[in-house]
Amino acid sequence: MKRAKIPAVELPSPSTAILEQERKVLLELGNDITRVREKNDLLTLFKQRIKGLFYISHTIVTLIDYKDETYTPFLLDNEGSPIRSHARYQEMVRSHFSLNEPFIQAVLRADGPISFLLEDIMDKPQSPPFLRVNYEKGVREILMTKLMKEGKPLGFIHTYTDKPEGFSDEFRSVMKGIAPQLSSAVSNIIKNEEVLKKEKEKSFLLDFSSDIATVRTKVELRRAVGAAIRKLKQKSGYVIRRINEDGTTMSPYIYDLGIQQHDQKIINALEQARYLINDGLQDRVLNSPIPLLLNVEREIQRGITSTYLQNWKAMGFRNFVGIRLRNGEANLGILLLEIEEINVQLLQGICAQISIALANIIANEQIIRTQDEQAFLLKFSNDITQARTKLDLQNAISTVLDKALHTKLSMIRVIDDDGIHMPAFMYDSTLFTKAKVDFDKMMANPITIGEIYTSQVLASKDGLVFNVEEELKSGNAYAKLWKTTGLKNMYGLPLRVSDKNIGTIWLLADRLSQLLLKGICAQISIAIANIRANEKLVAYKKQLEVENDYLKEQIKTIYNFSEIIGGGDQMQKVYRLMSLVADSNTTVLVLGETGTGKELIARAIHNASPRKDKLMVKVNCAALPANLIESELFGHERGAFTGAIDRRIGKFELANHSSLFLDEIGELPLEAQAKLLRVIQERELERVGGKQIIKIDVRLIAATNRNLEEEVKAGRFRADLYFRLNVFPISLPPLRERVEDIEALTHFFVQKYSRNTGRKIRKVAPKVIQQLRSYTWPGNVRELEHLIERSILLATDGTLDDVYIPQPAETERPGQAYLLNRSLEEVERGYIIETLKRCTGKISGAGGAAEILGIPGNTLHSKMKKLGISKSDYFA
Amino acid sequence: MKIVVIGGTGLIGTKVVTQLRQRGHQVIAASPATGINTVTGEGLAEAVNDTDVVIDLANSPSFEDKAVMEFFETAGRNLLATEINADVKHHIALSIVGVDVMQNIGYMRAKQVQEDLIKKSGVPYTIIRSTQFFEFLAGIANQAADGNEVHLSDVQFQPIAADDVASFVAKFALAAPVNGKVEIAGPERFKMYEIVARYLQHSNDPRKVVPNDKPAYYGGEIAHTALVPAGQAELGAINFEQWWSKQLQ
Repeated sequence: MKRAKIPAVELPSPSTAILEQERKVLLELGNDITRVREKNDLLTLFKQRIKGLFYISHTIVTLIDYKDETYTPFLLDNEGSPIRSHARYQEMVRSHFSLNEPFIQAVLRADGPISFLLEDIMDKPQSPPFLRVNYEKGVREILMTKLMKEGKPLGFIHTYTDKPEGFSDEFRSVMKGIAPQLSSAVSNIIKNEEVLKKEKEKSFLLDFSSDIATVRTKVELRRAVGAAIRKLKQKSGYVIRRINEDGTTMSPYIYDLGIQQHDQKIINALEQARYLINDGLQDRVLNSPIPLLLNVEREIQRGITSTYLQNWKAMGFRNFVGIRLRNGEANLGILLLEIEEINVQLLQGICAQISIALANIIANEQIIRTQDEQAFLLKFSNDITQARTKLDLQNAISTVLDKALHTKLSMIRVIDDDGIHMPAFMYDSTLFTKAKVDFDKMMANPITIGEIYTSQVLASKDGLVFNVEEELKSGNAYAKLWKTTGLKNMYGLPLRVSDKNIGTIWLLADRLSQLLLKGICAQISIAIANIRANEKLVAYKKQLEVENDYLKEQIKTIYNFSEIIGGGDQMQKVYRLMSLVADSNTTVLVLGETGTGKELIARAIHNASPRKDKLMVKVNCAALPANLIESELFGHERGAFTGAIDRRIGKFELANHSSLFLDEIGELPLEAQAKLLRVIQERELERVGGKQIIKIDVRLIAATNRNLEEEVKAGRFRADLYFRLNVFPISLPPLRERVEDIEALTHFFVQKYSRNTGRKIRKVAPKVIQQLRSYTWPGNVRELEHLIERSILLATDGTLDDVYIPQPAETERPGQAYLLNRSLEEVERGYIIETLKRCTGKISGAGGAAEILGIPGNTLHSKMKKLGISKSDYFA
Repeated sequence: MKIVVIGGTGLIGTKVVTQLRQRGHQVIAASPATGINTVTGEGLAEAVNDTDVVIDLANSPSFEDKAVMEFFETAGRNLLATEINADVKHHIALSIVGVDVMQNIGYMRAKQVQEDLIKKSGVPYTIIRSTQFFEFLAGIANQAADGNEVHLSDVQFQPIAADDVASFVAKFALAAPVNGKVEIAGPERFKMYEIVARYLQHSNDPRKVVPNDKPAYYGGEIAHTALVPAGQAELGAINFEQWWSKQLQ
């Protein structure tokens, strides 16, 4: 072995003074060294204390790294070193010099400090390059002092001098003396640095931990992570990727690209991408419990094709660390950090915190999403409860599917009443526009509960998912149709109302939220059940209505006219006539004494006619002032006469398409009769003062208590009008001719008036009925009605046992005195008039006055002539 | 070539590192003591970066069944992940002859897991299955000792010197990956009680070996031939006597 010059081998014996001096120096230095705690302290020691005592150009400390048997600079003299300006200086600073070469082996073997002339050793083949570098900057000699720790070399102190005479013996001796203290000083520095580093890490993690504890949202997480990574390494970019819901891809969640500017296009591409987890890189990171050091170039060469690598290369990223983020046993994502060294504990500390925050955020997001979904379901529930028809429901379903699930309804099928067939209830044909023909063809196929897919869905608990691709392979005919939509899955779910299958719902989508789906299906099931119930109700209602109408019709034909009381033969004849005439447009003439109910019959005819939907118009001809009759019946134009300030529509016009009831037609003045005749004949009229002819369609019902035939004979009624009116006469019998109806009528009025007056008359005494039946009823039904009304008012308890029939005796009583003073002639005259009146003016023949008076008709005539009895006497 | 020796400060590791360095390779002796920990991952990525060959000679710090399994599983997984990452070209691991037929023993199960991880990893590999080292003889004697008697069976035993093991490891590390296993053993085959008796005799140990016919290894019952190579094996050059004389130096 080529041994370097070791001048310290034989030192001349030093003098006592020198020894004393040296001892003092050692003592002082020793004190100083023990105070050394960090690199700077040691530097200061060399620069200020040792340099003050001895000449040296500079000093460095190197440490041995046993793992690869090298030594590397640890402490540099940044001010004094002459080689700092050397081109290879930086290289030297970073270098690991092998321990496996003669120069350093000589140092290791030496007992104490050992010096070398650089010139001698620097060009030996294995010598470390720093020797030559120093020489080139004027350094001549190196003194190597071994630092020991626990009996093992720890490192070296290199001291250099540029003086040709080299190091003084005194200096060598001092160095040897302080070597052990320097060794422990360096160990202390190392240990101190380690402790400081650990503490720094701990406080860093503690800060980060308290930062992250407040994180609730993505934005906050980005801020906290960003701050921590800036603290860790000023300009590092990073990305946290989160595993997407599909479980097969990852997407950037938060990121920072460091301080460099990048192409926005690349950033956008990176941001929006979904990277397959099993791309050969991300899965490696996810599967590795320890952080992995990755090199972009190497990963690309490995054949990983994920686009982010190419993008990163383009952006200038080279090395990064990948660590998985996991909460418990579940992977959440990965952190990729642009950094070249791994501080495992620190990174794992950071990632544990990030994972917790991420898990919290995910949980939070899940809660918010669940809340949103529930709110949506609530709204859907509201919408759907308002759905009464299929259209309402379809709208509500389309909305909910579109907004909440971003999908369309494929089909709802509802099980028929037969429990087997399942006709389509509702579907969105827009979904299958691309396959219109196929869809229509498919739709035409009847589906039963036994159909293979339907039966599976109906039997399932929460529905089934059919993968379109797989179904296509297995030869499902429907799958071809599904495929045309481009969606991945067909969701078939049973619609149930309290565990009873009512149908199926089919939705095509890539992914659907199970919770939402379940909620929506429950709502739809109920809504469909409701709508079907509603449809059934409406059908029943319609059926009932029809039945009701039919029954009404029947009742009418049986009872004829319900509001008319009386079922006696006489009235039945009337009813039959009414039934015959009601349907037609024929003019009806209702005849009958006063109070026999002519208006009632007119109304019944109208109500039984096709015109019943319009109001019957009634005109009381007796009540009209003669000069206003025309205007009343036919209307007038503005200014037609004085006082005609407005156009007025007449009753005829009002009754267009309806019936016009002309009551007391016998009282109509002759002049008006002519006009009326014309309207009836022509079916058209002119308003008074008007020029326009108005066509009318009016059904006429006329009534009178007069004998129109006689009126015609008397010249008070136009014969032609009479014939026009007397097309279909209906004569109402007087009450005295329909005694059999008196009891029914009595009960009817008793009921009516006890209701009106609030008295509760429950019974009519048989005696009363008997009384009523024996009365002659000159005022007919009207008289009966008023009599009952009066009797009810006078009744004292719940039984009607007294009626106040006008007593003939009483009416005669006031006339008694009068009778006593009258002449025979007067009495005769009065009696004849009275009898004539009762016989409605009939003199001879059956029911005539002559018969009642028991004299021949001619005799009566002559008597009347003699007594001066005229028509006006007994018709008054 | 850059070579990382995991467990590079241990019995075999030190020797392998020295041999490889002597051949001029850049060798990193990795162990928790040198700041490289395969269980925690500390320093691992930096050490393995730009490395061509990784030799895994690490052993579990504890021999309790669960701890051993955890060690080999975790360390193996971490190391292989790092190697894949760094594109390591060759992974060499030291295993045990008969590991697959002694699965009743916890330690063997753990070593099997280590082997399986390697096979699955995709990193080109060579698994070196070795017989027991001469250096284990003292330990074998101790664990079988009952007072002054050492109860050992006639199970076949073919120990190898650690120096030979190191040479084989170095040799395979520098060769192309086998992507399979090779077996190495000592030059001579004994019955276990014979060689232990000889060892005790040489080291003036007063304990007496009592042979039995219940083949066992560290408490687990094994087949008579479990500890020796079944087929072809590379044999070490150092026999017991040579080894013993070297121990005395």
